[in-house]
Amino acid sequence: MFISVDAAACMGHGRCYSVAADLLSDDEQGFVAQSGQTLRIPGDLLDQAREAADACPEGAISIVEEHPDR
Amino acid sequence: MTETKQGCPFSHTDYGADTEIHGHYALLDAEREASRFRFNDTTERGFWMLQRYDDVVEGFQRHDVWTTRARSAINPDSGMALLPQDLNGEAHLKMRRVINPFFAPAAVKRMEAMAHERCIELIEELRPKGGCDFVAEFAIRYPTDLFLALLGLPVSDGDFFLPWSETLFAGFFGGDPDAAAAAKRKITDYFDAAVNERRANPRDPKQDMVSRLIEARIDGEPISQEDILTVCMTLMLAGLDTTRSALGYIFTHLARDDADRRTIIDRPDLGPAAAEEFLRMYPLVFQAGREVRAAGEFHGIDMAEGDVVWLGIGSANRDPRKFPEPDRFVIGRKGGNQHLAFGAGPHRCLGMHLARLELAVVLKEWHERIPHYRIKEGTRLVERGGQLTLATLPLEWEV
Repeated sequence: MFISVDAAACMGHGRCYSVAADLLSDDEQGFVAQSGQTLRIPGDLLDQAREAADACPEGAISIVEEHPDR
Repeated sequence: MTETKQGCPFSHTDYGADTEIHGHYALLDAEREASRFRFNDTTERGFWMLQRYDDVVEGFQRHDVWTTRARSAINPDSGMALLPQDLNGEAHLKMRRVINPFFAPAAVKRMEAMAHERCIELIEELRPKGGCDFVAEFAIRYPTDLFLALLGLPVSDGDFFLPWSETLFAGFFGGDPDAAAAAKRKITDYFDAAVNERRANPRDPKQDMVSRLIEARIDGEPISQEDILTVCMTLMLAGLDTTRSALGYIFTHLARDDADRRTIIDRPDLGPAAAEEFLRMYPLVFQAGREVRAAGEFHGIDMAEGDVVWLGIGSANRDPRKFPEPDRFVIGRKGGNQHLAFGAGPHRCLGMHLARLELAVVLKEWHERIPHYRIKEGTRLVERGGQLTLATLPLEWEV
């Protein structure tokens, strides 16, 4: 499973890295540092990834089966 | 027969009027459930009310054509300059980039120790008295002190600063306009002196916000003195009354609900999650305004250029389609932190992380020292319209 953060939609609420601190982190301006990336989710962090997706008011985070570039 | 505008039922509710506590939420809940959209005709320009969660989020995301030229649907022509709120698009983004780092979680973390310290001092001052007007004696003093510290100003200035800011706030909601104008001048002069002091003695712009505002360049140009003062004024207006209001609602809830208060006492680690759910349940800024800058259609409504839109934060946060059993206080509810108490889109509240810290710190420190308290018998709790706050909240406890 992969987690994907839409850079254009991220507005820096910071909810995602607050609830998924082992998976996501913040940059200097408070936006998610993984903005614009698609990352493989380690199996034990799947719950955190789902929580991160649930926490974003902008709907910027999605959990996908396949890496979109493959 | 119901009157309608383009099929939207009219709303004649004056949301600027004071009500009993929670009266606004009752009105908002009823209007949201009665119809998806409404047209409110109680103000000169009137406004389209977006009420349901999905519509409100979509409204916040239309920032390219719905601008903050009307920041409040109730008061779309406030006339008072605010920065960065008054900016939109690229210009807004550039100004936010200058200020954002001071309100990002890492920066807020740097204030944490001081927030605890100041909070404890204020509580210890009040504790032996066995009671206080929580709104006037705690809930406004605490954020004022932190705001001054954030700007690098002496906390002791709160003694004279607080009456000015209170007079200015009162002016927005029906108070004496001349007194408010005089207070605004005093605050501006105070900031002006502080900014000039920093020009003479600059500090590290990575740590000190005023120094950063002086040093920053936008498109190669420094930010004007006037704009720097407007930013300071805006931060004050945005940060003090709101925190005071949030605390008033939280402590009313906890004073009345022994089980929820017991949870907060027993599990101080739940403070941040509890604060989040309180923000969802009791949003103070219950609406944001936008002005339509390019005519267009929104789910069947034709909006003309210049129309005012109400983004119903209070309605969305309590929309049962999004948050089941919205009146229940559920710490850690699924998706609960998607609430819109801080808005959404690029104009979302800059100070939201600081606000969260402030609320969580108070929940912890207050209940550690004054775990049990009650609202003074016979108190009638009244909430101000326009932007919610309690006029007074007299609390009592055993000493």
